[in-house]
Amino acid sequence: MNSAAVFAFTCPVKTNSGNKALENLPVELAGLNAVNPLVVANARAVGSKAVRTLMGAFGDSGMTLGLFEGVTEATDLGVVDHLKNICLEKKYDAFIALGGGKAADVAKVLNLAVSLKTPDARRLLPEAPVRKRLLPLVVVPAAGADGLETSQLACLSRMVFSSEWLAPALAVLDPRLARAKNGIQMAATGLAALGRAVESHISADQNPFRKAYSFAAIRFVRENLLSAVADPGNRKAALAVLNSAAMSGCAFSNAASGRLHKLGQVFYDLLGIPQGVIMGMGLPLVLEDALREGRYDLAALFQPLAGDDAFAQTPAEKRPEAALVLLNRFLEDLRSVLGKELPKSLREAGVPGYRKEEILDVLGQDEDGPYLRGVVERMADGERERKG
Amino acid sequence: MSIIKDVQSGKKPLKRAYVAIFLWFTGRAIQAAAKVDREVKKEFEKLPENFTFSLGCLPDGPWMVVGREKGVVKYLGGDSRGRPVQVRLAIKSLDAGFLILSFQESTTLATARNRLITDGEIPYALAIIRILDIVEVYLLPKLIASLAVKRYPSWWTPARKFGGRIGVYTRTLLGI
Repeated sequence: MNSAAVFAFTCPVKTNSGNKALENLPVELAGLNAVNPLVVANARAVGSKAVRTLMGAFGDSGMTLGLFEGVTEATDLGVVDHLKNICLEKKYDAFIALGGGKAADVAKVLNLAVSLKTPDARRLLPEAPVRKRLLPLVVVPAAGADGLETSQLACLSRMVFSSEWLAPALAVLDPRLARAKNGIQMAATGLAALGRAVESHISADQNPFRKAYSFAAIRFVRENLLSAVADPGNRKAALAVLNSAAMSGCAFSNAASGRLHKLGQVFYDLLGIPQGVIMGMGLPLVLEDALREGRYDLAALFQPLAGDDAFAQTPAEKRPEAALVLLNRFLEDLRSVLGKELPKSLREAGVPGYRKEEILDVLGQDEDGPYLRGVVERMADGERERKG
Repeated sequence: MSIIKDVQSGKKPLKRAYVAIFLWFTGRAIQAAAKVDREVKKEFEKLPENFTFSLGCLPDGPWMVVGREKGVVKYLGGDSRGRPVQVRLAIKSLDAGFLILSFQESTTLATARNRLITDGEIPYALAIIRILDIVEVYLLPKLIASLAVKRYPSWWTPARKFGGRIGVYTRTLLGI
């Protein structure tokens, strides 16, 4: 690694992970000068048991919490504006996002609107710079998390808000919430984490702090995802996958927005397909292209994927190809556990042709548009399937 | 009707009662052990005169306060108000306190898992941990004490262990 490289790294997220981690919340909030938090949750996605577990963690704290459990995939800036008015009236001084995906996005944008006392949240613009520290935000990722909870991004109403201040002050990872409903939900979390961590890890710009996060995230996925998918009740493996998602979000926040992330985000926004499913589908294609382009440090992937001994035994020039082989084998193993639940192509994922055109149009507006459209075309029928 | 519900945090009376009784008993046992065990006595002698420490759960207890007055170690109850406390060992939550005091986690493991906050001088806090370990060895059978302490003192003579145990229990129950 070039020690003279110029880099910057920010990660304001404190992580509390492990058995009964949720019970630390009252003390952690007190440390953030917060006594009146609002819980933002998608109760349908995380389940009422998760909401009860979170509320139970505040037992004996003497606190009164606000609870908004009505986040849905359709929640937009209009709902955020309504919530903001109530928050200002009731003087909530912290936000707790329970669950992954939309709940975290809504909590981040709501925090932005409340902290800045925005007159009309519907007029919030991603371009407007955030120059002020926001109220404390705590994220409690649960099964179905995508890793973006710990990032500095919030995606709402097809807008992407990005600011260092949007990142949560605290992430709480508790094994009671890590258990997924089924194997595919766990796989989606792990693949989203893997996709973002891989893109951050092979980025051309040198950043040793980011690599520490992405390295750990890749290794956690590699060592735990298969067990967690085969047995979603395996709390240790599920917690490790949740940890990898949290780490991938921190790494991703300090890297340029990757191609895989863009693909996953578009399919999630337009069709509600979990990002991890799409990212897992596109990962081999994007990495094969990256290998051909030679712009990325694919050799760096080999150590977290293969382990230290295999890394030491493999000549440097063979590591990029070996990393790809390992990654493909890992994805195949995952498919063998999940069977048809993990689609290999957009057709298997149930994406209709007319929606594909819509997706291609949206992708076309991106700077990587032509490339991403090509990848989507190859994913449509499963290029790898055709190759046999 | 507002879309935001206000939810009052619940209570955990059973856990609170368990932790309170445990701390009360341990506080009295420390007072007893300071008279019975030479090692505990020596640890207290190294601490300053009028030294007081508390151990309990955040945010609002229960607590155990133990102090040294005119060379005598005393259990001072569960309320430290109006008394300067030199070292405060605070467990971050009642649940964490229950985990530690029901021996599901040893003190060292709980510290490693970020469940304890030490407010005061670290050397004094370490002395308190050593004292607590000795007291737990006296109070608990080997099987449970091994879970609670970092290393069970297998080198103790039977006379020290069983004699001391009788002394500590008698004094704890009588409060002398």
